Amino acid sequence: MRKDDYLGNFDLMLLLALLRLGEEAYGVTIAQELEEQTGREVVIASVYARLERLQERGLVTSSVGDSTPERGGRAKRYFRITAAGIREVRDARRSLMNLWKSLPELKGEKA
Amino acid sequence: MTSKEPPKIATWMLKHFGSDLNNDAILGDLAERYREKGSAMWYWRQAMSGIAVSLFREIRGHKWIAARSLVMGWFMWILYVTLIFPLLTPLFSGSHFAVAIVPQDPIGTAWSVLWAPVLGQANFGTSFSFAFAVGLPLVVWTICGWLVARFHRDHETSMVLLLAGSMLLIDLLLAGPFILRVGPFVASQHLFGPLAANISASVLGVLFGGKLRHAKAV
Repeated sequence: MRKDDYLGNFDLMLLLALLRLGEEAYGVTIAQELEEQTGREVVIASVYARLERLQERGLVTSSVGDSTPERGGRAKRYFRITAAGIREVRDARRSLMNLWKSLPELKGEKA
Repeated sequence: MTSKEPPKIATWMLKHFGSDLNNDAILGDLAERYREKGSAMWYWRQAMSGIAVSLFREIRGHKWIAARSLVMGWFMWILYVTLIFPLLTPLFSGSHFAVAIVPQDPIGTAWSVLWAPVLGQANFGTSFSFAFAVGLPLVVWTICGWLVARFHRDHETSMVLLLAGSMLLIDLLLAGPFILRVGPFVASQHLFGPLAANISASVLGVLFGGKLRHAKAV
């Protein structure tokens, strides 16, 4: 497996955000979703950079929307997860669940 | 009260130095979120991070092209300081100056190659020192920037930015040993005088040269 084939933490978070947002997934809503879930500021450009990579791997597709005045006349770029992307998320969940199950109880956490 | 218009300089910088294919969508997203957040600091952070993200992505994806653009830019400068600069100095100062290349002293050689036109000048006493510190480096680095952009058309913004960044980084790295060697007092005279002007002129020259080709194309 090449290094780039590996689904990283941020990639997985992005794919999950796309699943949650559905038709409304574009830069602003994705960044907001990630910030709400992680409590950390997200750089919008890095969201696009990772989504571009995921698109090259066929896990995501994108389309250009209409431009609006509050965006300075610039169009939104919408992203959607593909069937291959959903498979990748399921595989990642399965792997994580298996790893998680084999862990002893973490300190300070109820089973 | 906060203005709903995002900071213009940050927008301009991202628009011109961001090399991401999604630059337009990013600018739109930032404008939309700025209306809600209203924080200029946040906007600046996002815009500068946007430039950095696109630059690193381009370098990572095109390592050989990045290496070639660096070699090309620096080769042009070395050609100037070793061959043309010594010929120009008598016209301005009446005596010959040349770059000192000493293999045993790589840092000293780097100072000489990079700062030759300005070392030994503690202030802009004459118009000649101004020409050497600002005028000539501006012209030469503008040509370097233009050439790098000309030969790397598909990646011109990132390659020009990489060259300018490499120069700034090397200048900063050389400033430390320079202060240690000549002492803080003498160093401050240079670093806050002609040397600072020289570094600024060089960086601006590369950026200007890189954009010159683009401006002509538009």
